[in-house]
Amino acid sequence: MRTAPPSPPGAKSGPRASRGSGPLPRGAPRVPGPREQRRVRRGAPNRRRFASQPPTPRRSDARLPCPPWYPCCFALPVAWMAQPPPDPRFVLRGTSAAVHALRFSCGGEEPAVPVLFSGSENGFIHVWNLKTHRVDAALDGHGRKSVYWLETMDGKDRLLSQGRDQRICLWDLAEGRTSVTDSVFTENVGFCRSSLLKVAQGRWLMAMAAKALEEVQVLELPSKTSVCTLKPEMGAKLGMPMCLKLWQGSCGSQPLLLAGYEDGSVLLWNLSTGKVLSQLVCHQEPVMSLDFDSEKAKGISGSSEKVLSIWSLNEQQNLQVQKTHRLVNAGISDITIRPDKKILATAGWDHRIRIFGWKKLKPLAVLDYHTATVHSVSFSDHKSPSDRLLAAGAKDHRISIWSIYTQT
Amino acid sequence: MAAFDTPQAAFGALRPACVRLTEAQTVENVARLEARLAAVGAGALQELQEYVLFPLRFALKAPGPRRERVVQRVLRCLRAVLLGTRIADPRLLQELLSELCACLPAPRGAPAPAEELQLAAVRALLALLRSARGDAVAALYRPSCLPLLGFAVSLLLGLAERERAKQVRLSALECLQVLLLQGECREQRWLREERAQRCGDLFASFLPGVSLALSRIIAGDVKQGHGITVAAIRLFYQVVGLVMADEQLARVPKQKEKPKETPSVEQSRIAELIVHRGPEWSKSTSEKLSLLLHKIVEISSVHSHWRVRLELVELVHHLLSNCRLSLVDSFTHLLKALVGLVNDENSEVQSRCNEVLQGIAEQQVIAQNRALADVLSENLHSLATALPRLMNSQDDAGKFSTLSLLLGYLKLLGPKINIVLNSASHLHRLSKALMQVLELDVTDVKIVEDRHWGCVGGYDPSGSMQHGVQKGRSQRKYFRFFTEEKIFQLLQQVCRVLGYYGNIYLLVDHFMGLYSESAVYRKQAAMVLNELIAGAAGMGVDVLQEREVSLSMDDLRGSVTSILEEYTDQTNWYLVTSIDTEEISREKQTVPRSGLAALPGAACSSILPSPDPHVTTRTMNSNVWQLCIQLEGVGCFAAVLGREFRLLLLSALYPVLEKAGDKTLLISETAQGTLVDICEACGYDSVQSLINENSDYLVNGISLNLRQVAHQPHAAQVLSTMLRHSDASLLPLVEDVIQDVLSALDQSYSDQASTFLGVLHSLMAALVQWFGPSCSKEHQQRQAAEGQSGTLSQIQQETTSQEMERFFLDYIKQKQIAEGNLSDSSDEEADKVPPLAKPELSNSDAEGETPLPSHAQLAKDVMERCIHLLSDKNLRVRLKVLDVLELCVTVLHPHGNHLLPMAHRVWPALVTRLISDDPLAVLRAFKVLCTLAQKCGDFLRQRFSKDVLPKLTSSLLSQAAASARAGPVYNHTLAFKLQLAVLQGLGSLCEKLDMGETDLNKVADACLVYLSAKQPMKLQEAAQSVFHHLMRVDPDSTWLFLTEVCCPHPYEPPHTSLQPVKLRGMGRQRDEFTDNILLLLEELQQQESAGAQRAPPP
Repeated sequence: MRTAPPSPPGAKSGPRASRGSGPLPRGAPRVPGPREQRRVRRGAPNRRRFASQPPTPRRSDARLPCPPWYPCCFALPVAWMAQPPPDPRFVLRGTSAAVHALRFSCGGEEPAVPVLFSGSENGFIHVWNLKTHRVDAALDGHGRKSVYWLETMDGKDRLLSQGRDQRICLWDLAEGRTSVTDSVFTENVGFCRSSLLKVAQGRWLMAMAAKALEEVQVLELPSKTSVCTLKPEMGAKLGMPMCLKLWQGSCGSQPLLLAGYEDGSVLLWNLSTGKVLSQLVCHQEPVMSLDFDSEKAKGISGSSEKVLSIWSLNEQQNLQVQKTHRLVNAGISDITIRPDKKILATAGWDHRIRIFGWKKLKPLAVLDYHTATVHSVSFSDHKSPSDRLLAAGAKDHRISIWSIYTQT
Repeated sequence: MAAFDTPQAAFGALRPACVRLTEAQTVENVARLEARLAAVGAGALQELQEYVLFPLRFALKAPGPRRERVVQRVLRCLRAVLLGTRIADPRLLQELLSELCACLPAPRGAPAPAEELQLAAVRALLALLRSARGDAVAALYRPSCLPLLGFAVSLLLGLAERERAKQVRLSALECLQVLLLQGECREQRWLREERAQRCGDLFASFLPGVSLALSRIIAGDVKQGHGITVAAIRLFYQVVGLVMADEQLARVPKQKEKPKETPSVEQSRIAELIVHRGPEWSKSTSEKLSLLLHKIVEISSVHSHWRVRLELVELVHHLLSNCRLSLVDSFTHLLKALVGLVNDENSEVQSRCNEVLQGIAEQQVIAQNRALADVLSENLHSLATALPRLMNSQDDAGKFSTLSLLLGYLKLLGPKINIVLNSASHLHRLSKALMQVLELDVTDVKIVEDRHWGCVGGYDPSGSMQHGVQKGRSQRKYFRFFTEEKIFQLLQQVCRVLGYYGNIYLLVDHFMGLYSESAVYRKQAAMVLNELIAGAAGMGVDVLQEREVSLSMDDLRGSVTSILEEYTDQTNWYLVTSIDTEEISREKQTVPRSGLAALPGAACSSILPSPDPHVTTRTMNSNVWQLCIQLEGVGCFAAVLGREFRLLLLSALYPVLEKAGDKTLLISETAQGTLVDICEACGYDSVQSLINENSDYLVNGISLNLRQVAHQPHAAQVLSTMLRHSDASLLPLVEDVIQDVLSALDQSYSDQASTFLGVLHSLMAALVQWFGPSCSKEHQQRQAAEGQSGTLSQIQQETTSQEMERFFLDYIKQKQIAEGNLSDSSDEEADKVPPLAKPELSNSDAEGETPLPSHAQLAKDVMERCIHLLSDKNLRVRLKVLDVLELCVTVLHPHGNHLLPMAHRVWPALVTRLISDDPLAVLRAFKVLCTLAQKCGDFLRQRFSKDVLPKLTSSLLSQAAASARAGPVYNHTLAFKLQLAVLQGLGSLCEKLDMGETDLNKVADACLVYLSAKQPMKLQEAAQSVFHHLMRVDPDSTWLFLTEVCCPHPYEPPHTSLQPVKLRGMGRQRDEFTDNILLLLEELQQQESAGAQRAPPP
């Protein structure tokens, strides 16, 4: 079952060797394609600086000023405040490459085994059995190119995966099958994660970065018909989309798309009109990740700089910066709000996972385990809250599993 | 062969004899009749029965004083007749019965007649009863005959009880049996039932007398012989079984029937005698019987003869199957007897007892009978209460029987055990009793003292697992209250039966409660829990009946998981088992540290039981045992769950491996046994494959535990155990975590160094073992290559002209080297690398680093840490580091390009160790130096001659004076060892490093003093060895040097034009050096001549 061959000598030095060399954003190794080169020539100062000046994380003083461990947003006895941050519940090893994407599927009823999908830089998608903590299957469908987005469609039998081979694959995993049943050729050279939204039973919308550099395309699944293509106005100079989030307000309302761009702005798109509803410049650097809480109409974004930005959407569909939070170390590669909307987790280039209270962005904990950039964080969807987990995948080839619901 | 077959003929033959007998009752006449009778056929005799009987009866009833001999003869004859015929007439039967009874002695008074007479009478009676036909018998058992029967019974009882002659008593008992249980099996079932009912009614009136008399017989003197006791017991249970039979009692109407017509006086008197077996009667009777039974059981269960005990089993069986309801009160005693006899020393008793128990269990007597279950649980309760006291006071045999009783109760209760367990007081009593009985003896000091140094001391290349692989059976335990193994086995069975039938959740919960309640109970509770689980799985449990529902795997796994969790909980797993000075000092350092690191008031510092300096040997012993029991438990759980246990390996394997690396021998052995158990249960071929296939779990555990200072030593232990038990295929799997170890070490050089050095040592030792052979092969190749290019040492074997040429060439080369032209030589070295490797090399040069195989990379990483640690302030640490360093050098050896820079970096620190450190460290450092020299060769030459050699030689010289003066005790001093080591190593060092002439001279100078005869012998030998090496490097100068000191031969110049040879040593007086030098010169001579012979002629 183990798929942990030693990394080929020379191809990859160990996790230690990578320390200090500065993490690249997901999707590395980056071999700039022709489009990218053109882009650079056209002169996007941000982009170049970003590529040439990787932030150098320092381990020594990276703790938050106030890192009391704080499990949930409940009132806590004082004694808890003093507890040190926990250790991971478990660490999954054996991807033998940096981990870029994670997705839990644990909602099934009993005999169904909870699983975690992980996508790694060598193009494999590993299906981890969370009972045995071992790989049940390794899916190879992206030509050994980095897999950077994973999403399930109704349970763990159908999986979407996006890779640097410019394809989005739909996997059929039912009854032990491991075949790609469908795929979409995105023709996009970036590493913008797509976003999936279930709009009705058996009908999904998927937003993905399109062939043209600044465009985002929205497809309807499973029919793969294009719903719309979202093109910024001429001369907007937003750069490439970096992260996407499809969402829908209360039932039946229009699905909307939030997109973070290379120039640090976040745009809210109306899918039916294909127009920008609101634009907000919240970062000086590319927006690396964002997440949005449709209940509170509030979102958060992180970039390659030292700032987390919280913005809200008012009734007039205008995005406004609500608050910014300064970090000690620059670079956030992923942000996820927990499904119960109480806390959120960030994956930092400083090798750390940070947990914040979602309401006031109060720093709750710094989870320190990894020895390289953390690429992805994901919360599990277990039925019982006490089983729920947080997973983080990092460049050091490890996936750490944390239990932060039930800390006593 | 009957002579008279027809009645007529028989009559003719018998008549005269009968007539004579009637006329005169003499012995002769009776004898004659008897003789005639013998000749009469059975059919004919039947016809003439009454006729023949008449004179005999007449003789018995004859008036006048009886003549015993005649009566006796008559009785014999009567018996003969009765044996041959059947009696059909009830009247005749009754008359004969009363006549025969008259011959028996009256119960009281009246002097007893002779034994023979009594015997004859009883036998005749027996024959009479046997010869009676069914209807006649039926007539006998009527209320009207009650007085007669009563008379007969009382007479026979009197005989059986009071008579001295064994034969008589036995016959009387037999007779009674026939009388009371007449015709049990001759008729149809319903008839028999009806008769039995009637007999029951009849005999109920005799029951008190019969049972009392019989119990007196049973309780009688042992000397009466077992036969009587057996017969009495049998009779007792048959009578009681008949009268008290449930079937009969059930049919008895509640009220006494009123006779329809007014009976006559006589009849009414008889009716008064008849007992009505109503509920009241049966109740009072059973109470009385219970007393008797208690007495009988008590006496016969310890009877020395096994047949008596066997009969007792039959008694229990008979009564339990017939009088289940009526004798409920007595069941306590009966079951106790039965259960107690299960483990009888006689196998027949044992097997019958088992059969009976089996039968009882199979009939579900107890399961269906609440009353019985109550009785049993009551017994159990009182036994459990008394158990601790009994365990204290009884001897081993007594304990054994007490415990078999306990086991028997549990087995009998079977599925009904839960009734008992559900009662809190029962469970409490039982568990407390088990806790006390199972108390271990923990005074053995050896347990703590037996140490396992495998992981600290030398690496055992054969793998310590290999000899531990034999099935890990549990360690022999020593208990406070008993010594015999079979008692422990009984207790095991008790627990297993409990687990088999009982509600496993309830039991596990209860004993877990005890486990955590007090340290006093912890070991016992763990032991009980282990056995409970084994029993619940039906493993090695010996029961009477199958349980109704066997436990599902899920339930079992649930229980096992919770127990495992408790066992491996930090407070129960990390117990103080040794006072290691090193460890203590370390802990003392770390405890406050961990407290600081873990933020104020952190919970994590309380995780470890604080190392209390006052732990007694006793507590440690107890801790050792507790761990062993828990480890055995893990093995047992694995065996129970089989392959299912694989799921639990995630949490169980790491702790077990941790203990496999424990320094206490007992624990590590037990843990290794557990590993073997797990292997077997989960279907792994070997411990190695178990470790390899689950290395991900282990690695995870190690890496997480490394994050906590307090657990680092354990994590390190696990890793070294893994390494010890596995092979090279493990390396890719653990590389990751080794990096973790190194980084953990980086963060705590000062206090955790010695912990991690242990791991590093096992790591390097493993690497040397795994990759050692390949190392040496490559090394040989390299040496061969060097040999081709021609090194100095080879030239001796070549021809003289070439030799001369070579000599000068080499001289120049040597000189260059001596001038420190090192860069040249290293260039040459590089040139000598075989051409094949060249492109690769240049390639790697471009990258700046040769891609190293992972093990070598690890060795390099480790070596880097060693450099830092070489100057640790703790001597122990320094010594360990030197050991590790030596191994690193061995592993890195084939990769010269990496070894040399490392050697360069190590050098300064190593030199400091060599020059100014504790002698112990110098000794080790010198060893490292030797290894390093072997691997690095001339790379070290100049450094050595500059940094180390002067110091070495001067210390050798200064020490020489001391050792020359010293006595034999000196051989045990450190200084001596150091001298010896240096002298032993110096020679090869010189050779390996290819030292220059001046250095060689220095060495020779320093060693010369040790050639003195005044030096200890060993040092002399070592010094000689130095010179041997020197001879090989440069024979000529050595020769010169030696002859300077002492020259035995004068050397004549071959030609007068040459100057005469003058050597300083010529013509010296014999002194302390002479012997050794002469020896050396001789050897040199031999070496030279051998070299010359081997060399081909020019």
